[in-house]
Amino acid sequence: MKKLPLHIKILIGLVLGVIWAFISSALGWNQFTINWIDPFGTIFIRLLKFIAVPLVLFSIINGVSGLSDVTKLGRLGGKTLLAYITTTVLAVAVGLILVNTIEPGTHLEEEQRIKNRLTYEIWLQDNNIGLPKDGKSYLSDPQYEKYLSEAQKGREMSEAERQELEEKMKTVEAQKEDSPLQFVVDMVPENIIFSISNNQLMLQVIFFAIFFGITIVLIPKEKAEPLVGFIRGSNAIFLKMVELVMKAAPFFVFCLLAGVVAKMADSPGEVFELFLGLGSYALTLLGGLAFVVVILYPLILKAFVPKLTYRELFRNLSPAQFLAFSTSSSAATLPVTMECVEDNMGVSRTISSFVLPIGATINMDGTSLHQAVAVIFMAQLHMVDLTVGQQLMIVFTASMASIGAAAVPSAGLILMLMVLQSVGLNPAWVALIFPIDRPLDMCRTVVNVTGDATVSTLIAKSEGELNKYN
Amino acid sequence: MKKLPLHTQILIGMTLGLIFGIICIQSPGLSNFTIDFIKPVGTIFIRALKMIAVPLVLASLIIGVANIGDISKLSRMGGKTLGIFIVTTVISISIGLSMVAILKPGYKLSEDTRNGLMAEFNTNAAGKIDVAEQIQTRGPLEPLVNMVPDNIFQATTNNSSMLQVVFFAILIGIALLKVPRESGSTVLHFFNGINDVIVKVVHFIMLIAPYGVFALIASLLIEIAGDEPNKVWELLNALLWYIITVVVGFACMMAVIYPLLIHFFSKIKYFDFFKGIRPAILLGFSTSSSTATLPVTMDRVEKHLGVSNEVSSFVLPLGATINMNGTSLYQGVSAVFIAQALGLGLPLSAQIMIVLTATLAAVGTAGVPGAGLVMLVVVLEAVGIPAAGIALIMAPERILDMLRTMVNVTGDASVSVVVASTENALDEEFAKKHSSD
Repeated sequence: MKKLPLHIKILIGLVLGVIWAFISSALGWNQFTINWIDPFGTIFIRLLKFIAVPLVLFSIINGVSGLSDVTKLGRLGGKTLLAYITTTVLAVAVGLILVNTIEPGTHLEEEQRIKNRLTYEIWLQDNNIGLPKDGKSYLSDPQYEKYLSEAQKGREMSEAERQELEEKMKTVEAQKEDSPLQFVVDMVPENIIFSISNNQLMLQVIFFAIFFGITIVLIPKEKAEPLVGFIRGSNAIFLKMVELVMKAAPFFVFCLLAGVVAKMADSPGEVFELFLGLGSYALTLLGGLAFVVVILYPLILKAFVPKLTYRELFRNLSPAQFLAFSTSSSAATLPVTMECVEDNMGVSRTISSFVLPIGATINMDGTSLHQAVAVIFMAQLHMVDLTVGQQLMIVFTASMASIGAAAVPSAGLILMLMVLQSVGLNPAWVALIFPIDRPLDMCRTVVNVTGDATVSTLIAKSEGELNKYN
Repeated sequence: MKKLPLHTQILIGMTLGLIFGIICIQSPGLSNFTIDFIKPVGTIFIRALKMIAVPLVLASLIIGVANIGDISKLSRMGGKTLGIFIVTTVISISIGLSMVAILKPGYKLSEDTRNGLMAEFNTNAAGKIDVAEQIQTRGPLEPLVNMVPDNIFQATTNNSSMLQVVFFAILIGIALLKVPRESGSTVLHFFNGINDVIVKVVHFIMLIAPYGVFALIASLLIEIAGDEPNKVWELLNALLWYIITVVVGFACMMAVIYPLLIHFFSKIKYFDFFKGIRPAILLGFSTSSSTATLPVTMDRVEKHLGVSNEVSSFVLPLGATINMNGTSLYQGVSAVFIAQALGLGLPLSAQIMIVLTATLAAVGTAGVPGAGLVMLVVVLEAVGIPAAGIALIMAPERILDMLRTMVNVTGDASVSVVVASTENALDEEFAKKHSSD
C-alpha cells in the first residue's frame, strides 16, 4: 500500500467505503456503521475545518506581506473577481443549454404534469402572487377540469420536511430584507476574534487578513520582522498539519462514504429507487457537472497554459477533487486544494493564498449550475414555460446568491429557495429534490473546487507566477 | 502577611472566612452585605484563575510537546497517562463501593426523611435527568468527535472545551516538531514568552488568594444556610451517614491510595509531595473547580515538585477534564446509597456495572457543566435505579463538590508525578528542597 500515490489510496478508500456501506446495509448493520464508522468521517471534516481558518488567515497575511508592491494586489483582486464571474457564468450557461435540450422535467407523464401545474396555480391564488410566469392559466381552461379535484389534494409533505423547509425559508426571508450591498457590509468584521471563531465568516477573515498584510508592508521592516517570522512559522505549521492529516485521508474517506450512504437509506435498493425517480434530472445535472470538469476547465487551461497536459492536470488536482467529493465542503477541502495547487501545479504561494480562500467562499460554479438545472427542471415538471429572459434572471440570481452564501454543506438548498422565489415559483418544490441532494452536493463540490483551482492557475500564469509548465 | 508561606495564608483566609460566615448567619443584614460586597471578591478570584487556564494550557502544552522532541515518546506517555487515569478511576470507584457496603448509610435513612427529601429536590433532579438524557441519545463515539474542534478559535473561547484545546495544542506541537527549525523557532519563542508571562500572571493572582478564599468560604456558608439555617442543618444531619461515608472514602484516597502510588512509582516522599501540592488542594476545596485550580496545580507540580513541563502540561489539563477520582468515588457511594435508601438490592454484577459505567461516564461527560450529578444519572440508569433518586443526595452537593475537587486535584497531581517519574522527567532531589517554598 505504501508505494501508491495518495490520490489512488483515497480513491480506494472511497470505493471501499461505498462497497462497505452496501454490504453492511444488506446485512442489516447500518446502525453499526452510523455509530462506529461515521463518527470518524465527522472527525475528518472537523480536522480539516479547524485547519482551514488559521491556514487562510496566516497564508493570506504571509502572501500579502510578501508583496513588494501593494498596487499589485488591487490588480490581482480585480482579475480574480473577473475570472470567477466568468467561470460561473459559463457553468450556468452549460446548465441552461443542457436542461433546455434534454428537458428532463418533461419525461413525466402528461397527466401528472397537468396536475402539478394546477396545484401550482392554486398555490399562486392562495398566496396572491398573481399570474403564473408564462401568463397562461390552466385553471380557467375547461379541458383540464377533470384533474382539478385531484390537484387540490396536492402533494402532502411530511411533517419533518415541512419543518426543515420552514427553517430554511426563515433564512431566506432574513436575507431578502437586506439591502443589495449587505454582502459588502458583511465582509467587514465587527470583531476579528469573533470572525475567526466562526467558520461561516470566512470572507471577514479574508478581509482582515488582506488588510493586516498590507499594513505589514507599510511599516518599517525591522519592526515587522518578528511578527512576519511568527506568521510564516505558523503558516508552515498548519501546512504541515494538513500533510499529517492527509496521511490518514484514505481511512477517513472510507468512513465518510460509508456513513453518507448508510444514512441516506436503509437498504441499497432504496438508494437506487431514489435515483431512478429523479433519474433524468440527476443525469442532466451530472452530465453538466462532468462537462464542466472534464471539458470546459481543461479547455480553458489548455488555452492559457498550453504545456499542461490533460493527464497531468487531473493527477495534480485529484487529491483535492476526491476530498471535495467525500466531504462535500469546499471550506474543508481548502487546505488540500492549496497544497495541490502550490506543490503540484506550481502556483506561487502569494497567488494561491489569495485566490483560493476567496474562491472557496464566493466561487461556486457547480452550485450555480445546479441552481439553473434544478429550477428549470422543476418548472418543466409543473408545465411552466420560462422565457429566455426569465432564465437569465435565474442565472443572475444564482450567481449573486453563490457569492453571498458561505462555504457550508448544503448551502445550495438555501440558495435554491432564493432563486425559486425570485422567479415566482413555489419554494416548496425544493422538497422534490431533497432526497438525492447529498450525493449531488458531493459532485457539485468537486466542480466548485476544480473551478477554484483552475482560476488560481490562470491568474498565476497571467501574473507570471506559475513555476511549472512554462 | 508577607513572610507566611502561601498555604498558610490560604488556610488563614479559609478559617477567617469560616468564622466570619458563621457570624453572618446570625444576622441577616450582615449576610446581605457579605453577598453584595464580599462574595464578588471570591468570584473575581475564580474568574481570574479561569481566565488564564486556556492560554496557559495552550502555550505550555505546545512547548511541552515540542520539547519532547519525539513523537513515539509522546504517544507512549499518552498511553501511560490514560492507563493510569483509568486505573485510579477504577480504584476510587471500588473504594467508594466498599465504603458504602461497610457503612450502609442508606439503611440509616428513615422513611419520612426520604420522602421529605424526594419532595424537596424533585425539580432539581428533573433538570439533571433531562441533561443526562440528551447525553445518552448521543452516539457512542460522540465524545471522540467532540474532542476535535471544528474551529480552534471557537474552542479557545469556551472554558468547557478544554479537551479540544488540548487536542489541537498537541497537534500544533507535533507539527512544530516536523517543520524546519528555522521556520518553527519564532513560533516556539512566541509561545515560550506567552507561557512565562502567564506563569507570572498566576503568581500575581495568587497574591489575592487569601482574600478570595476568605470571600468564597464566607459567602458559601451564607448561601448554604439560606433563610432557615436550622432546616439546612436538619437536612445535613439526616444525611450525616451518607456524608461520612463519602468523606471516609475521600480520606482513604488521600491518605492511603495516593501515598502508595507515590511511594511505589517515585522516590518523592509523600510528605514532600503533600507539602508541595498543598496550596492547590486548598484552592480546589475553596473554588470547587478543577479548571480554576489548574494553573496553580501546574505551577506547584513544576516549580515545587520538579515535574518537567513536558509531563505536567500534558497530564494535568487532560486530568482536569477526564480524571476525576473524587467524583468517581462519590458516584459509587451515591449510587449504592440511593439503592439502599429505596430498598433495592444491588447484586455483584450491578456493582461491576457501576464501576464500568462510572469510568466511561467520567470520560464521556468531559466538558459537560455540573457533570458530577449528570454522570450519576447515567450510572443510575445503567444499573436500573430510578434516576429520580438523586433528589435524595442533593442537599450536601455543594460541600461534597468542594471535597471532590480536592481529591480530583490531588489525583491529577499524583498521576503527573508518577508519569514523570517513569519517564525520567522528575527531578527527585528537587521536591525535598522546594516543596515548602
